[in-house]
Amino acid sequence: MKVIIGSDTKGFELKAYLVNFLSSEGYKVMDMTPDPNLNFVESARLVSEEVLKEEDNFGIVIDEYGAGSFMVANKIKGVVCAEVSDEHSARMTKEHNNANIISLGSGIVGKTLAKNVVMSFLNNNYSGGRHQIRVDMLNRLA
Amino acid sequence: MKISIGCDHIVTDIKNHIVKYLEDKGHEVIDNGTYDNVRTHYPIYGKKTAKKVVNKEADLGIVICGTGVGITTSANKIKGIRAALVRDVSTAKYAKEELNANVIGIGGRITGIGLMEEIIDTFISTKYKETEENKELIKSIDDMIEDGSYVNDEHLFDDLLEKWDKGYYHD
Repeated sequence: MKVIIGSDTKGFELKAYLVNFLSSEGYKVMDMTPDPNLNFVESARLVSEEVLKEEDNFGIVIDEYGAGSFMVANKIKGVVCAEVSDEHSARMTKEHNNANIISLGSGIVGKTLAKNVVMSFLNNNYSGGRHQIRVDMLNRLA
Repeated sequence: MKISIGCDHIVTDIKNHIVKYLEDKGHEVIDNGTYDNVRTHYPIYGKKTAKKVVNKEADLGIVICGTGVGITTSANKIKGIRAALVRDVSTAKYAKEELNANVIGIGGRITGIGLMEEIIDTFISTKYKETEENKELIKSIDDMIEDGSYVNDEHLFDDLLEKWDKGYYHD
């Protein structure tokens, strides 16, 4: 599993913090936006396209509010992007929606919460079963 | 204002509360269901709610499920929809002001009623402030889905629902 991460200019600092943190935890991290001058359309697209290359990839997209990256990522077929700012949503969206990307707002969540939200997502698994019909429906839309 | 609203079976009571809240404030509400607590599937209601917005039968949409993720994602996968999933008023304000978001999504099991009402009030009352920069971002988002005609396909999920009825999807 790889963690694919990217941000626009305003999410750049939180991204750098998470890259460091996840690498120190032993995760294989791919930073898609070493260039700090991208907008969220560019950064969320880069992350989404890379995430879709392998089934167990997991993406993180960051901008100031997380809302723009959420809109962009979820326009792409095969992406289920969850904007989360709490650990419970992070766990539930992994278990129920099989989300493959989470969106964070660097102006909304602090570093500690961002780190714990990411870990809550990574430490849980998709439940499948009855939830799969909903994911099949999502994938039919775009 | 005309508001299109939808939810899944986990949060129907919360949706009903919001419908009444909006009607008491003088808004016209189109309630797309679900209407009870019988197990169903959030993309059905995300799509229905979004369709009213893109077809201009409603000015804005509100979608609610457990975390908000599933139903807001389904609404955003409709061409012309810019949906924001929020747990705070600041993001709701930004999404409308800068991205002209036309659907707001909330987690019924995440956000309390008081905050939910304030998020919705702010989303409705905030005006989009067009700039050259955000106009371009909005166009980029809207152009991402090329053919969005599936929004009008009433049978889009029929085969999946048939599989569901046959017990294909089981825990």
